[in-house]
Amino acid sequence: MSEPWWISVIKAGVIINLVLLTFAYTTLLERKLLARMQLRFGPNRAGPYGLLQPIADLIKLVRKESFFPTAAIDTPYILAPVVSAFTALAAFAVIPFGNGWNIWRYHVNGVVANVPISLILVFALGSIGIYGFIVGGWASESKYSLLGSMRTCAQLVSYEVSLALSVLGVVITAGSLSLVDIVHNQAHSLWYVVPQAVGFLVFLISGVAETSRAPFDLPEAEQELVAGYHTEYSGMRWGLFQMAEYVNMITLSGLAITLFLGGWHFPFAHGVDFLGPLWFFLKLLVLLFVFIWLRATLPRLRYDQLMSFGWKILLPVATLNALVTALVVVWA
Amino acid sequence: MANVLVWAVWIVAAFSCLASGIAVVSFSNPFYSAPALIGNLASLAVLYLLLSAEFVAAGQVLVYAGAVMVMFLFVTAYLGGRADAPWAGGPTWQQFGAVLAAGAILVEVIVVIGLKAGGRLSHEARIDSGFGSPHRIGRVFLTDHLLAFEITSIVLLVAAVGSVILGAHSRRSDTTGDLVHSEEAGARP
Repeated sequence: MSEPWWISVIKAGVIINLVLLTFAYTTLLERKLLARMQLRFGPNRAGPYGLLQPIADLIKLVRKESFFPTAAIDTPYILAPVVSAFTALAAFAVIPFGNGWNIWRYHVNGVVANVPISLILVFALGSIGIYGFIVGGWASESKYSLLGSMRTCAQLVSYEVSLALSVLGVVITAGSLSLVDIVHNQAHSLWYVVPQAVGFLVFLISGVAETSRAPFDLPEAEQELVAGYHTEYSGMRWGLFQMAEYVNMITLSGLAITLFLGGWHFPFAHGVDFLGPLWFFLKLLVLLFVFIWLRATLPRLRYDQLMSFGWKILLPVATLNALVTALVVVWA
Repeated sequence: MANVLVWAVWIVAAFSCLASGIAVVSFSNPFYSAPALIGNLASLAVLYLLLSAEFVAAGQVLVYAGAVMVMFLFVTAYLGGRADAPWAGGPTWQQFGAVLAAGAILVEVIVVIGLKAGGRLSHEARIDSGFGSPHRIGRVFLTDHLLAFEITSIVLLVAAVGSVILGAHSRRSDTTGDLVHSEEAGARP
Protein backbone atom coordinates (compact mmCIF):
# COMPACT_ATOMS: atom_id res chain seq x y z
CA MET A 1 0.00 0.00 0.00
CA SER A 2 1.33 3.41 -0.85
CA GLU A 3 1.74 6.27 1.55
CA PRO A 4 2.36 10.01 1.05
CA TRP A 5 6.02 10.89 0.62
CA TRP A 6 6.12 13.08 3.72
CA ILE A 7 5.18 10.11 5.93
CA SER A 8 8.20 8.24 4.52
CA VAL A 9 10.45 11.20 5.32
CA ILE A 10 9.17 11.48 8.90
CA LYS A 11 9.49 7.72 9.34
CA ALA A 12 13.06 7.74 8.00
CA GLY A 13 13.98 10.47 10.50
CA VAL A 14 12.41 8.56 13.39
CA ILE A 15 14.07 5.28 12.40
CA ILE A 16 17.52 6.85 12.00
CA ASN A 17 17.24 8.37 15.45
CA LEU A 18 16.01 5.13 16.98
CA VAL A 19 18.87 3.19 15.37
CA LEU A 20 21.38 5.75 16.66
CA LEU A 21 19.84 5.54 20.14
CA THR A 22 20.08 1.75 19.98
CA PHE A 23 23.71 2.11 18.89
CA ALA A 24 24.50 4.42 21.81
CA TYR A 25 22.93 2.10 24.34
CA THR A 26 24.44 -1.00 22.72
CA THR A 27 27.84 0.41 23.68
CA LEU A 28 26.64 0.77 27.28
CA LEU A 29 25.04 -2.70 27.21
CA GLU A 30 28.28 -4.15 25.88
CA ARG A 31 30.42 -2.51 28.56
CA LYS A 32 28.02 -3.47 31.33
CA LEU A 33 27.64 -7.09 30.19
CA LEU A 34 31.36 -7.55 29.59
CA ALA A 35 32.04 -6.12 33.04
CA ARG A 36 29.52 -8.45 34.68
CA MET A 37 30.97 -11.45 32.85
CA GLN A 38 34.42 -10.43 34.11
CA LEU A 39 33.19 -9.83 37.70
CA ARG A 40 33.39 -6.05 37.46
CA PHE A 41 30.73 -3.33 37.71
CA GLY A 42 31.30 -1.46 34.45
CA PRO A 43 30.48 2.23 34.00
CA ASN A 44 28.29 3.34 36.90
CA ARG A 45 29.16 7.00 37.54
CA ALA A 46 27.29 9.00 34.88
CA GLY A 47 23.63 9.05 35.96
CA PRO A 48 21.72 6.26 37.73
CA TYR A 49 23.38 2.86 36.98
CA GLY A 50 25.65 4.68 34.52
CA LEU A 51 22.72 5.19 32.15
CA LEU A 52 23.97 8.57 30.91
CA GLN A 53 27.38 7.16 29.95
CA PRO A 54 26.69 7.10 26.15
CA ILE A 55 25.59 10.75 26.29
CA ALA A 56 28.78 11.67 28.15
CA ASP A 57 30.83 9.71 25.59
CA LEU A 58 29.12 11.55 22.74
CA ILE A 59 29.78 14.98 24.24
CA LYS A 60 33.40 14.03 24.82
CA LEU A 61 33.82 12.81 21.21
CA VAL A 62 32.22 15.89 19.67
CA ARG A 63 34.28 18.31 21.77
CA LYS A 64 37.54 16.45 21.28
CA GLU A 65 40.11 17.87 18.87
CA SER A 66 40.24 15.84 15.65
CA PHE A 67 43.92 15.11 15.18
CA PHE A 68 45.03 14.83 11.60
CA PRO A 69 48.27 13.09 10.52
CA THR A 70 50.34 15.52 8.40
CA ALA A 71 50.97 12.82 5.81
CA ALA A 72 47.27 11.93 5.50
CA ILE A 73 45.53 12.49 2.16
CA ASP A 74 42.82 15.02 3.02
CA THR A 75 39.69 14.25 1.02
CA PRO A 76 39.65 10.44 1.29
CA TYR A 77 40.69 10.67 4.95
CA ILE A 78 37.68 12.87 5.78
CA LEU A 79 35.19 11.11 3.49
CA ALA A 80 35.97 7.53 4.56
CA PRO A 81 34.10 7.56 7.92
CA VAL A 82 31.20 9.37 6.25
CA VAL A 83 30.84 6.64 3.60
CA SER A 84 30.92 3.89 6.21
CA ALA A 85 28.41 5.56 8.52
CA PHE A 86 26.07 6.48 5.65
CA THR A 87 25.90 2.99 4.12
CA ALA A 88 25.45 1.41 7.54
CA LEU A 89 22.47 3.65 8.33
CA ALA A 90 20.97 3.43 4.83
CA ALA A 91 20.81 -0.36 4.93
CA PHE A 92 18.34 -0.26 7.81
CA ALA A 93 15.79 1.45 5.53
CA VAL A 94 14.62 -1.81 3.96
CA ILE A 95 14.28 -3.88 7.15
CA PRO A 96 10.59 -4.31 8.04
CA PHE A 97 9.79 -3.71 11.70
CA GLY A 98 5.98 -3.86 11.74
CA ASN A 99 2.83 -4.71 9.84
CA GLY A 100 1.84 -1.10 9.15
CA TRP A 101 -0.74 1.01 10.93
CA ASN A 102 -3.79 3.05 9.93
CA ILE A 103 -3.33 6.38 11.64
CA TRP A 104 -6.23 8.78 11.06
CA ARG A 105 -6.67 8.87 7.24
CA TYR A 106 -3.25 7.56 6.36
CA HIS A 107 -1.69 4.16 6.08
CA VAL A 108 1.82 3.92 7.49
CA ASN A 109 3.95 1.02 6.25
CA GLY A 110 6.05 -0.96 8.69
CA VAL A 111 9.21 -0.37 6.66
CA VAL A 112 10.90 2.81 5.45
CA ALA A 113 11.40 1.66 1.84
CA ASN A 114 9.55 -1.35 0.48
CA VAL A 115 11.59 -2.40 -2.57
CA PRO A 116 11.15 -5.77 -4.28
CA ILE A 117 14.88 -6.55 -4.19
CA SER A 118 15.57 -5.32 -0.67
CA LEU A 119 17.79 -8.28 0.26
CA ILE A 120 20.22 -7.55 -2.59
CA LEU A 121 20.12 -3.88 -1.65
CA VAL A 122 21.31 -4.65 1.89
CA PHE A 123 24.24 -6.66 0.53
CA ALA A 124 25.04 -3.97 -2.07
CA LEU A 125 25.17 -1.27 0.61
CA GLY A 126 27.30 -3.53 2.79
CA SER A 127 29.78 -4.04 -0.03
CA ILE A 128 30.00 -0.26 -0.57
CA GLY A 129 30.55 0.28 3.17
CA ILE A 130 33.81 -1.69 2.97
CA TYR A 131 35.32 1.19 0.97
CA GLY A 132 35.17 3.46 4.00
CA PHE A 133 37.37 1.03 5.93
CA ILE A 134 39.87 0.48 3.11
CA VAL A 135 40.16 4.10 1.98
CA GLY A 136 40.33 5.35 5.58
CA GLY A 137 43.20 3.00 6.39
CA TRP A 138 45.06 3.85 3.20
CA ALA A 139 44.58 7.63 3.43
CA SER A 140 45.97 7.72 6.99
CA GLU A 141 49.48 6.98 5.62
CA SER A 142 50.29 4.75 8.57
CA LYS A 143 51.55 1.17 8.57
CA TYR A 144 49.14 -0.02 11.23
CA SER A 145 46.17 1.58 9.50
CA LEU A 146 47.12 0.08 6.15
CA LEU A 147 47.64 -3.39 7.64
CA GLY A 148 44.31 -3.09 9.42
CA SER A 149 42.47 -2.09 6.27
CA MET A 150 44.11 -4.90 4.28
CA ARG A 151 42.94 -7.37 6.89
CA THR A 152 39.46 -5.84 6.92
CA CYS A 153 39.26 -6.06 3.16
CA ALA A 154 40.39 -9.69 2.92
CA GLN A 155 38.15 -10.79 5.78
CA LEU A 156 35.01 -8.99 4.65
CA VAL A 157 35.37 -10.17 1.05
CA SER A 158 35.91 -13.78 2.17
CA TYR A 159 32.96 -13.92 4.52
CA GLU A 160 30.61 -11.93 2.30
CA VAL A 161 30.47 -14.96 -0.02
CA SER A 162 29.31 -17.31 2.74
CA LEU A 163 26.89 -14.68 4.05
CA ALA A 164 25.23 -14.29 0.65
CA LEU A 165 25.10 -18.06 0.07
CA SER A 166 23.63 -18.73 3.52
CA VAL A 167 20.53 -16.63 2.81
CA LEU A 168 19.97 -18.37 -0.54
CA GLY A 169 18.10 -21.17 1.24
CA VAL A 170 15.62 -18.67 2.68
CA VAL A 171 15.22 -16.96 -0.70
CA ILE A 172 14.50 -20.30 -2.40
CA THR A 173 12.02 -21.33 0.32
CA ALA A 174 10.22 -17.99 0.35
CA GLY A 175 10.43 -17.50 -3.42
CA SER A 176 11.09 -13.80 -3.02
CA LEU A 177 13.90 -11.31 -2.54
CA SER A 178 11.65 -8.83 -0.74
CA LEU A 179 12.17 -8.77 3.01
CA VAL A 180 8.52 -7.80 3.56
CA ASP A 181 7.35 -10.90 1.63
CA ILE A 182 9.79 -13.10 3.54
CA VAL A 183 8.36 -11.88 6.87
CA HIS A 184 4.77 -12.37 5.66
CA ASN A 185 5.60 -15.94 4.59
CA GLN A 186 6.67 -16.72 8.16
CA ALA A 187 3.41 -15.47 9.71
CA HIS A 188 1.50 -18.76 9.67
CA SER A 189 4.29 -21.27 9.23
CA LEU A 190 7.42 -22.26 11.10
CA TRP A 191 10.04 -19.55 11.27
CA TYR A 192 12.78 -20.23 8.73
CA VAL A 193 15.28 -20.84 11.52
CA VAL A 194 13.83 -24.38 11.83
CA PRO A 195 13.99 -25.61 8.20
CA GLN A 196 17.06 -23.43 7.54
CA ALA A 197 18.96 -24.17 10.76
CA VAL A 198 22.25 -24.68 8.89
CA GLY A 199 21.74 -21.48 6.92
CA PHE A 200 21.04 -19.59 10.15
CA LEU A 201 24.22 -20.91 11.76
CA VAL A 202 26.36 -19.99 8.73
CA PHE A 203 24.65 -16.58 8.55
CA LEU A 204 25.34 -15.90 12.22
CA ILE A 205 29.01 -16.93 12.05
CA SER A 206 29.74 -15.02 8.86
CA GLY A 207 27.72 -12.12 10.25
CA VAL A 208 30.01 -11.93 13.26
CA ALA A 209 32.97 -11.97 10.86
CA GLU A 210 31.39 -9.33 8.61
CA THR A 211 31.03 -6.94 11.54
CA SER A 212 34.62 -7.68 12.68
CA ARG A 213 33.45 -8.72 16.12
CA ALA A 214 35.30 -11.12 18.39
CA PRO A 215 36.37 -13.88 17.77
CA PHE A 216 36.86 -12.48 14.24
CA ASP A 217 38.18 -9.07 15.30
CA LEU A 218 41.52 -9.42 13.52
CA PRO A 219 41.17 -6.14 11.60
CA GLU A 220 41.51 -4.27 14.88
CA ALA A 221 43.50 -6.73 16.97
CA GLU A 222 44.79 -4.21 19.50
CA GLN A 223 47.76 -6.34 20.57
CA GLU A 224 49.12 -6.37 17.00
CA LEU A 225 47.76 -3.35 15.14
CA VAL A 226 47.02 -0.67 17.78
CA ALA A 227 43.45 -0.27 16.47
CA GLY A 228 43.49 -1.29 12.80
CA TYR A 229 42.23 1.00 10.08
CA HIS A 230 41.06 3.73 12.48
CA THR A 231 44.37 4.04 14.37
CA GLU A 232 44.96 7.59 13.09
CA TYR A 233 41.40 8.79 13.65
CA SER A 234 40.20 10.67 16.71
CA GLY A 235 37.22 12.66 17.89
CA MET A 236 33.94 12.29 16.03
CA ARG A 237 35.62 10.89 12.91
CA TRP A 238 36.62 7.90 15.01
CA GLY A 239 33.11 8.04 16.45
CA LEU A 240 31.63 7.70 12.94
CA PHE A 241 33.70 4.56 12.28
CA GLN A 242 32.63 3.15 15.63
CA MET A 243 29.04 4.05 14.80
CA ALA A 244 29.30 2.29 11.44
CA GLU A 245 30.50 -0.90 13.15
CA TYR A 246 27.74 -0.95 15.74
CA VAL A 247 25.02 0.04 13.27
CA ASN A 248 26.23 -2.74 10.96
CA MET A 249 25.85 -5.12 13.88
CA ILE A 250 22.32 -3.85 14.54
CA THR A 251 21.39 -4.07 10.84
CA LEU A 252 22.78 -7.56 10.57
CA SER A 253 20.81 -8.63 13.65
CA GLY A 254 17.73 -7.05 12.08
CA LEU A 255 18.40 -8.99 8.88
CA ALA A 256 18.80 -12.23 10.83
CA ILE A 257 15.47 -11.56 12.58
CA THR A 258 13.76 -10.78 9.29
CA LEU A 259 15.12 -13.77 7.41
CA PHE A 260 15.16 -16.49 10.04
CA LEU A 261 13.32 -15.43 13.20
CA GLY A 262 9.91 -14.36 11.91
CA GLY A 263 10.57 -10.64 11.66
CA TRP A 264 8.11 -8.66 13.74
CA HIS A 265 5.86 -11.71 14.33
CA PHE A 266 5.59 -13.38 17.69
CA PRO A 267 4.13 -16.83 18.38
CA PHE A 268 0.52 -16.82 19.64
CA ALA A 269 0.28 -13.04 19.25
CA HIS A 270 -1.57 -12.75 15.93
CA GLY A 271 -4.29 -10.46 17.28
CA VAL A 272 -1.87 -7.76 18.36
CA ASP A 273 0.03 -7.13 15.11
CA PHE A 274 0.41 -3.45 15.97
CA LEU A 275 2.93 -4.51 18.62
CA GLY A 276 5.32 -5.67 15.86
CA PRO A 277 8.12 -3.17 16.63
CA LEU A 278 8.14 -4.36 20.26
CA TRP A 279 8.68 -8.01 19.28
CA PHE A 280 11.28 -6.89 16.75
CA PHE A 281 13.12 -4.92 19.40
CA LEU A 282 13.04 -7.80 21.90
CA LYS A 283 14.51 -10.18 19.33
CA LEU A 284 17.12 -7.53 18.48
CA LEU A 285 18.14 -7.34 22.13
CA VAL A 286 18.56 -11.13 22.29
CA LEU A 287 20.78 -11.17 19.19
CA LEU A 288 22.85 -8.23 20.42
CA PHE A 289 23.31 -10.10 23.69
CA VAL A 290 24.59 -13.11 21.75
CA PHE A 291 27.09 -10.87 19.90
CA ILE A 292 28.42 -9.49 23.21
CA TRP A 293 28.37 -12.90 24.87
CA LEU A 294 30.53 -14.32 22.04
CA ARG A 295 33.01 -11.51 22.54
CA ALA A 296 33.29 -12.24 26.26
CA THR A 297 33.65 -15.99 25.71
CA LEU A 298 35.79 -16.75 22.67
CA PRO A 299 39.47 -15.93 22.05
CA ARG A 300 40.51 -14.41 18.73
CA LEU A 301 41.29 -16.73 15.82
CA ARG A 302 44.71 -16.82 14.17
CA TYR A 303 44.75 -15.33 10.67
CA ASP A 304 45.26 -18.61 8.79
CA GLN A 305 42.52 -20.21 10.91
CA LEU A 306 40.19 -17.38 9.94
CA MET A 307 40.84 -17.83 6.23
CA SER A 308 40.72 -21.62 6.18
CA PHE A 309 37.54 -21.61 8.28
CA GLY A 310 35.86 -19.17 5.93
CA TRP A 311 36.83 -20.82 2.66
CA LYS A 312 37.12 -24.51 3.58
CA ILE A 313 34.26 -24.95 6.07
CA LEU A 314 31.69 -22.15 5.88
CA LEU A 315 31.62 -21.79 2.09
CA PRO A 316 31.10 -25.54 1.30
CA VAL A 317 28.49 -25.83 4.06
CA ALA A 318 26.59 -22.78 2.77
CA THR A 319 26.78 -24.09 -0.82
CA LEU A 320 25.53 -27.54 0.20
CA ASN A 321 22.72 -25.94 2.19
CA ALA A 322 21.59 -23.94 -0.84
CA LEU A 323 21.79 -27.01 -3.11
CA VAL A 324 19.88 -29.28 -0.73
CA THR A 325 17.22 -26.60 -0.17
CA ALA A 326 16.79 -26.19 -3.93
CA LEU A 327 16.41 -29.98 -4.38
CA VAL A 328 13.88 -30.23 -1.54
CA VAL A 329 11.84 -27.29 -2.86
CA VAL A 330 11.77 -28.74 -6.37
CA TRP A 331 10.78 -32.28 -5.31
CA ALA A 332 8.42 -31.47 -2.44
CA MET B 1 6.44 16.66 -12.27
CA ALA B 2 7.62 13.07 -12.33
CA ASN B 3 8.98 13.58 -15.84
CA VAL B 4 11.03 16.58 -14.70
CA LEU B 5 12.44 14.52 -11.84
CA VAL B 6 13.40 11.70 -14.21
CA TRP B 7 15.12 14.20 -16.50
CA ALA B 8 16.98 15.80 -13.60
CA VAL B 9 18.18 12.42 -12.29
CA TRP B 10 19.12 11.33 -15.82
CA ILE B 11 21.18 14.47 -16.46
CA VAL B 12 23.01 14.18 -13.13
CA ALA B 13 23.68 10.45 -13.61
CA ALA B 14 24.74 10.80 -17.24
CA PHE B 15 27.11 13.67 -16.56
CA SER B 16 28.63 12.02 -13.49
CA CYS B 17 29.06 8.91 -15.62
CA LEU B 18 31.01 10.89 -18.23
CA ALA B 19 32.97 12.89 -15.65
CA SER B 20 33.99 9.84 -13.62
CA GLY B 21 34.91 8.01 -16.82
CA ILE B 22 37.25 10.83 -17.80
CA ALA B 23 38.58 10.93 -14.23
CA VAL B 24 39.43 7.20 -14.34
CA VAL B 25 41.81 7.63 -17.27
CA SER B 26 43.23 11.04 -16.31
CA PHE B 27 44.26 10.41 -12.68
CA SER B 28 47.90 9.40 -12.43
CA ASN B 29 47.46 7.78 -9.01
CA PRO B 30 45.57 4.46 -9.39
CA PHE B 31 44.16 4.86 -5.90
CA TYR B 32 42.14 7.83 -7.18
CA SER B 33 41.23 6.10 -10.44
CA ALA B 34 39.62 3.19 -8.59
CA PRO B 35 37.09 5.34 -6.65
CA ALA B 36 36.37 7.22 -9.88
CA LEU B 37 35.59 3.87 -11.54
CA ILE B 38 33.31 3.04 -8.59
CA GLY B 39 31.53 6.35 -9.19
CA ASN B 40 31.21 5.47 -12.86
CA LEU B 41 29.67 2.08 -12.08
CA ALA B 42 27.34 3.65 -9.51
CA SER B 43 26.06 6.26 -11.95
CA LEU B 44 25.53 3.48 -14.50
CA ALA B 45 23.45 1.73 -11.82
CA VAL B 46 21.32 4.90 -11.50
CA LEU B 47 20.80 4.86 -15.28
CA TYR B 48 19.67 1.22 -15.04
CA LEU B 49 17.23 2.23 -12.28
CA LEU B 50 15.73 4.83 -14.61
CA LEU B 51 15.22 2.04 -17.17
CA SER B 52 13.19 0.02 -14.59
CA ALA B 53 15.99 -2.53 -14.28
CA GLU B 54 16.21 -2.56 -10.49
CA PHE B 55 17.70 -6.03 -10.27
CA VAL B 56 20.43 -5.25 -12.78
CA ALA B 57 21.20 -1.99 -10.93
CA ALA B 58 21.51 -3.74 -7.57
CA GLY B 59 23.58 -6.49 -9.16
CA GLN B 60 25.83 -3.89 -10.74
CA VAL B 61 26.47 -2.22 -7.38
CA LEU B 62 26.86 -5.51 -5.55
CA VAL B 63 29.15 -7.31 -8.00
CA TYR B 64 31.09 -4.61 -9.85
CA ALA B 65 31.08 -1.53 -7.60
CA GLY B 66 31.26 -3.76 -4.52
CA ALA B 67 33.16 -7.02 -4.96
CA VAL B 68 35.30 -6.45 -8.06
CA MET B 69 36.44 -2.92 -7.22
CA VAL B 70 37.42 -3.99 -3.70
CA MET B 71 39.98 -6.27 -5.36
CA PHE B 72 41.29 -3.35 -7.46
CA LEU B 73 41.65 -1.17 -4.35
CA PHE B 74 43.21 -4.03 -2.40
CA VAL B 75 45.91 -4.56 -5.01
CA THR B 76 46.67 -0.87 -5.49
CA ALA B 77 46.88 -0.31 -1.73
CA TYR B 78 49.05 -3.41 -1.43
CA LEU B 79 51.48 -2.30 -4.14
CA GLY B 80 51.56 1.30 -2.92
CA GLY B 81 53.19 3.84 -5.24
CA ARG B 82 54.73 1.17 -7.45
CA ALA B 83 51.39 0.30 -9.01
CA ASP B 84 51.58 2.98 -11.70
CA ALA B 85 55.06 2.06 -12.96
CA PRO B 86 54.08 -0.27 -15.86
CA TRP B 87 51.77 2.34 -17.34
CA ALA B 88 54.07 5.35 -17.48
CA GLY B 89 52.91 6.53 -20.90
CA GLY B 90 53.12 3.32 -22.87
CA PRO B 91 54.32 3.00 -26.48
CA THR B 92 52.89 5.43 -29.02
CA TRP B 93 51.22 2.75 -31.16
CA GLN B 94 49.15 1.74 -28.11
CA GLN B 95 48.02 5.32 -27.55
CA PHE B 96 47.24 5.65 -31.24
CA GLY B 97 45.27 2.38 -31.25
CA ALA B 98 43.31 3.40 -28.15
CA VAL B 99 42.34 6.75 -29.65
CA LEU B 100 41.37 5.04 -32.91
CA ALA B 101 39.17 2.48 -31.12
CA ALA B 102 37.51 5.18 -29.00
CA GLY B 103 36.84 7.25 -32.13
CA ALA B 104 35.34 4.23 -33.91
CA ILE B 105 32.99 3.58 -30.99
CA LEU B 106 31.99 7.26 -30.91
CA VAL B 107 31.18 7.19 -34.64
CA GLU B 108 29.20 3.97 -34.13
CA VAL B 109 27.16 5.54 -31.31
CA ILE B 110 26.41 8.63 -33.40
CA VAL B 111 25.39 6.49 -36.40
CA VAL B 112 23.12 4.31 -34.26
CA ILE B 113 21.46 7.35 -32.68
CA GLY B 114 21.03 8.89 -36.11
CA LEU B 115 19.48 5.72 -37.54
CA LYS B 116 17.16 5.12 -34.60
CA ALA B 117 16.20 8.70 -33.92
CA GLY B 118 13.80 8.75 -36.86
CA GLY B 119 10.77 8.65 -34.57
CA ARG B 120 11.56 5.42 -32.81
CA LEU B 121 13.42 6.84 -29.80
CA SER B 122 10.49 9.01 -28.69
CA HIS B 123 8.26 5.96 -28.19
CA GLU B 124 7.99 4.83 -24.63
CA ALA B 125 8.58 1.13 -24.40
CA ARG B 126 5.59 -0.79 -23.12
CA ILE B 127 6.71 -2.39 -19.89
CA ASP B 128 4.59 -4.03 -17.23
CA SER B 129 5.19 -4.18 -13.50
CA GLY B 130 7.11 -7.46 -13.72
CA PHE B 131 9.71 -6.07 -16.13
CA GLY B 132 13.27 -6.44 -14.86
CA SER B 133 12.21 -8.49 -11.83
CA PRO B 134 14.37 -11.42 -10.68
CA HIS B 135 11.59 -13.83 -11.71
CA ARG B 136 11.54 -12.55 -15.29
CA ILE B 137 15.33 -12.42 -15.59
CA GLY B 138 15.68 -15.94 -14.20
CA ARG B 139 13.09 -17.24 -16.65
CA VAL B 140 14.88 -15.65 -19.61
CA PHE B 141 18.22 -17.03 -18.40
CA LEU B 142 16.94 -20.58 -18.07
CA THR B 143 14.89 -20.69 -21.29
CA ASP B 144 15.96 -18.40 -24.16
CA HIS B 145 19.58 -17.85 -23.13
CA LEU B 146 20.29 -21.19 -21.45
CA LEU B 147 23.36 -21.96 -23.59
CA ALA B 148 25.06 -18.61 -22.93
CA PHE B 149 24.20 -18.91 -19.24
CA GLU B 150 25.69 -22.40 -18.91
CA ILE B 151 28.80 -21.54 -20.94
CA THR B 152 29.41 -18.52 -18.70
CA SER B 153 29.08 -20.66 -15.59
CA ILE B 154 31.56 -23.21 -16.99
CA VAL B 155 34.03 -20.43 -17.88
CA LEU B 156 33.73 -19.05 -14.35
CA LEU B 157 34.25 -22.51 -12.86
CA VAL B 158 37.36 -23.04 -15.00
CA ALA B 159 38.66 -19.63 -13.90
CA ALA B 160 38.11 -20.50 -10.23
CA VAL B 161 39.84 -23.89 -10.55
CA GLY B 162 42.67 -22.28 -12.54
CA SER B 163 43.29 -19.62 -9.92
CA VAL B 164 43.39 -22.27 -7.17
CA ILE B 165 45.91 -24.33 -9.19
CA LEU B 166 48.06 -21.27 -9.94
CA GLY B 167 48.01 -20.30 -6.26
CA ALA B 168 48.96 -23.82 -5.13
CA HIS B 169 51.77 -23.98 -7.73
CA SER B 170 53.36 -20.70 -6.63
CA ARG B 171 53.17 -21.79 -2.99
CA ARG B 172 54.96 -25.09 -3.72
CA SER B 173 57.82 -23.42 -5.62
CA ASP B 174 58.24 -20.76 -2.91
CA THR B 175 60.91 -22.52 -0.84
CA THR B 176 62.01 -19.45 1.13
CA GLY B 177 58.44 -19.07 2.35
CA ASP B 178 58.50 -22.64 3.71
CA LEU B 179 61.78 -21.93 5.50
CA VAL B 180 60.28 -18.92 7.27
CA HIS B 181 57.23 -20.94 8.29
CA SER B 182 59.32 -23.75 9.78
CA GLU B 183 61.49 -21.24 11.66
CA GLU B 184 58.39 -19.60 13.09
CA ALA B 185 57.02 -22.96 14.14
CA GLY B 186 60.32 -23.83 15.82
CA ALA B 187 60.52 -20.52 17.65
CA ARG B 188 57.14 -21.00 19.22
CA PRO B 189 57.35 -22.44 22.75
